[in-house]
Amino acid sequence: MSTRLRGRPELYTSYGQEMSLLNTRAKALGVLAILAVAVYLPMGMEDDLLRVLNTGLVFAIGAIGLNLLTGYAGQVSLGHAFFIGVGAYTAAALSGDPDGRYIGFGITNPLIWVPAAGLVAAACGLLIAPLATRLRGLYLAIVTLGLVFIGQYFFIEWRSLSGGAQVGREAATPILFGADLTRAGAFSEEQKLFWFFLVLLVIFAVLARNIARSKIGRAFAAIRDRDIAAGVMGVELSRYKLIAFGLSSFYAGVAGSLMFVASGTLGPEQFGLLLSVQFIAMVLIGGVATISGAIMGAMLIAMLPRIASELPHYLPFLSRSPIDSPNIFEFELIAYGALIVAFLLFEPRGLFGIWLRIRTYWKSFPFSY
Amino acid sequence: MITTLVTRVRDRAASNPDGIALRKKDLGVWQETTWAAYWETIQLTAHGLIALGIEPGDRVSIQSENRPEWVILDLATVAVRGVTVGLYPTNPSAEVAYLVSHSGSKVHFAEDQEQLDKILEVRDECPEATTLVYTEPRGIESRYDVPGLTSWQELQELGAKHRAAHPDAVEQRMTAAEPDDVVTLVYTSGTTGPPKGAMLTHRNVEFGIETVIGQGSFVDPSANDKDLTLSYLPLCHVAERFFTTWYNAAAGTQVNFAESIDTVAVNLREIQPTLLFAVPRIWEKLLATARIKVDSASRVKRAYGRFWLRQADAIGTVLAESGGNHTTSTRIRYAIGWVLFYRAFLTRLGLRRVRHAACGAAPIAPDVLRFFMGVGVPMHEVYGMTENTAMATANRPGRVMLGSVGEAVEGAEITLDEDTHEILTRHPGVFLGYWRDEEATAKAIDADGWLHTGDVGEWDGTHLRVTDRMKDIIITAGGKNVAPSEIENGLKASPFIKEAIVIGDRRKYLTALIGIELDTVGEWAQRQGLGFTTYRDLTDKPEVRALVDGIVKEVNSRHNPVEQIKDFRMLPKELDHEDGELTATQKVKRSAIDKSFGELVEQMYSGAGRGEGAR
Repeated sequence: MSTRLRGRPELYTSYGQEMSLLNTRAKALGVLAILAVAVYLPMGMEDDLLRVLNTGLVFAIGAIGLNLLTGYAGQVSLGHAFFIGVGAYTAAALSGDPDGRYIGFGITNPLIWVPAAGLVAAACGLLIAPLATRLRGLYLAIVTLGLVFIGQYFFIEWRSLSGGAQVGREAATPILFGADLTRAGAFSEEQKLFWFFLVLLVIFAVLARNIARSKIGRAFAAIRDRDIAAGVMGVELSRYKLIAFGLSSFYAGVAGSLMFVASGTLGPEQFGLLLSVQFIAMVLIGGVATISGAIMGAMLIAMLPRIASELPHYLPFLSRSPIDSPNIFEFELIAYGALIVAFLLFEPRGLFGIWLRIRTYWKSFPFSY
Repeated sequence: MITTLVTRVRDRAASNPDGIALRKKDLGVWQETTWAAYWETIQLTAHGLIALGIEPGDRVSIQSENRPEWVILDLATVAVRGVTVGLYPTNPSAEVAYLVSHSGSKVHFAEDQEQLDKILEVRDECPEATTLVYTEPRGIESRYDVPGLTSWQELQELGAKHRAAHPDAVEQRMTAAEPDDVVTLVYTSGTTGPPKGAMLTHRNVEFGIETVIGQGSFVDPSANDKDLTLSYLPLCHVAERFFTTWYNAAAGTQVNFAESIDTVAVNLREIQPTLLFAVPRIWEKLLATARIKVDSASRVKRAYGRFWLRQADAIGTVLAESGGNHTTSTRIRYAIGWVLFYRAFLTRLGLRRVRHAACGAAPIAPDVLRFFMGVGVPMHEVYGMTENTAMATANRPGRVMLGSVGEAVEGAEITLDEDTHEILTRHPGVFLGYWRDEEATAKAIDADGWLHTGDVGEWDGTHLRVTDRMKDIIITAGGKNVAPSEIENGLKASPFIKEAIVIGDRRKYLTALIGIELDTVGEWAQRQGLGFTTYRDLTDKPEVRALVDGIVKEVNSRHNPVEQIKDFRMLPKELDHEDGELTATQKVKRSAIDKSFGELVEQMYSGAGRGEGAR
């Protein structure tokens, strides 16, 4: 790749320069700054807030996965919760105690069970994909919705794996290089998990960004914009829809394997429609077909319960008790819906769109276009 | 062996083989050519030309937009002691026939199907043009069966074969070059009569290079291989040839070819050139764009932008008075403004890195220059013409006088004719004569070697002011001499006016034909909530007429009553080269205007239907 000319950010002398992820100095410095802040964040933050952020990091991986499928390739899927569940149970089973009550293989190294969870979920995704490639739009949404219910039935009934309804089982334990990340030592559990999740998120985010700007990503975009036209241009529809489902499920599986590490237990009823809707919300609120948007959306959704629990300070009529009404849990549910509606109406490009707006304002300065 | 453009390129290719010589935007990316590759292609092309039978003195004509092949073929022709003839890409086929047959070109380069069709249409009239070369195969390859048709690729292959057989052929020709070898015929646009081909020699070109680039009095520090230029004006014009080919060969500046004249704004932003030459039309357009963009910005940005443009106005006024030098107060004001506004403003216009800007080839309103000086573009008006290799006077850094075209360049003698005040120049850059036109040559160069420029001027200290073209001076029925270009440029300084033609020769009073700028007036109309369909429709709106009326009154207030425009009419169409109303350099052909719009002019003098206002 030839060198860039100084002070001429719009002068590209090769496609490599134009396509590179950090094509301007400002971007490179910005990313570096965000990463530095992220790395130092756990040192100066309360553990309970950190726990919220940890959830956000894991959500972000899953949201990126859904964004690849729904945002980039335009295939609406309500079945994300199913793949999350597959990942979660795969990881739990792999790292579980071989002598315990439930299925377990005693492999506690996350470097094995994280990819394994992803692969098993991806395999399920690939099984479903041939069905999905024949459908689009509303029909696809309904079929994937069905998947959630079938999945939930399986999880509840397969007691030796899941422990059954209302009971649950222990989640995967991450023991990395002999250190249990869920035990406090020199650093607290939250700090260690934060760094672990952060590394994984960075890896998966960069991976997704690279997929999105490659031939595959362009094929996805072509399918999203008009599948018939894409087919005419030579994009192999079934192949790329298969890839989209596979990738998306892989990300979901990875997110699922990590999602319950902090809390330590998981029950089959958690993989219901609500989880799918939450992920759809992350994608829509964050920004369709953007990686950083998906991360922003995931962070916001992860923080929503925390925000809700703070609300009674300001809105005394909201109750903290689930028995009273209106309470913060109801508020949370309404907030998901309200946020989706509000963003779709007023900022269809999501949080990323707000960022774009700010960026454009300064980029076009002192003009407006 | 004398130093020529070609030896300069050869030597640079040897000393800096991996440096960038050219850039061209292709498929969205600026593809780079190194000096080594550049020189290699020139050599191959030169061999190809010899193989095609080009002998010393033979002409090679080029009709193409600016692109690497243009300069490569130009230099290859010079290398084999041929003569390059540049045609405007806008020349219609009738003019192509005249230029190719008059110059007697043996090889004609037409970049694509569009240009090729023009020459093919008139091929019978150009029997000497035996070879036609094209470079864009689209629509041509395997469709055209024409004798002598060769692709650029085939020319290179021919050259490679010839080089294998005669490796020294090009070098021998280069060694044999004489200072009085004609290197190019530059056909002047000819607002009256057919174009005349000015012969420029190695001696002329080398004088130009020595004066402008060698002595470093124009650009400080001297132009060098870190400088970027944008090539977008027609290369057959002497000014752009100077700025693109000669600067590149002599100083090693990196030439960037704009995609087309319509993308100049975008390409400027991408390239951010350090040296920029533009004709008044381009500067006026840039100014209009800047004003419109500030005016159509969101409320806060608009107020902010207007504030800083007012500051720039004040700074520009001070700079104009002090010859382009900052005073302490303007320096501080500009420094603050640079951080807060001008930096971003100039970046968006693509002028941020310009360290030397020049304007020439036509008269320009001082207001336009003042604006650019105020926002921080070091602006210099220069004066020259094809016949003296674009060398006569120039404003130098630190000694700028607005409204003048500067001081005589080094080594040039400039004087005014005692009776007519015509500007006369004498220096080694004065051309050899007009091609195949002894009579015109004798008229242009007198026995003492003075070139009669046809421009009327006056001295202001050591600075020269150009009043107007001699033949354009209007003598009113009252016997007053009026220079129309000053009034016209005053009008054209408004972003809304594209063309202004002042009329009044042997008439009672002055009138004008005015053409609006479709983009800016269209935008203005939109903001006023005026609907319109076509240029004609927009022109006929009473609101637009009122807008123009305001500008005319404003300009009138700056002139004494004799020089005021008493009435005007709007041009019902955009003037166009194809329709013969403009020359290839976008200058108005008065004779054609009289023919097309004579009726409008008569209306203004007949008293009937006299326009409101503007009195």
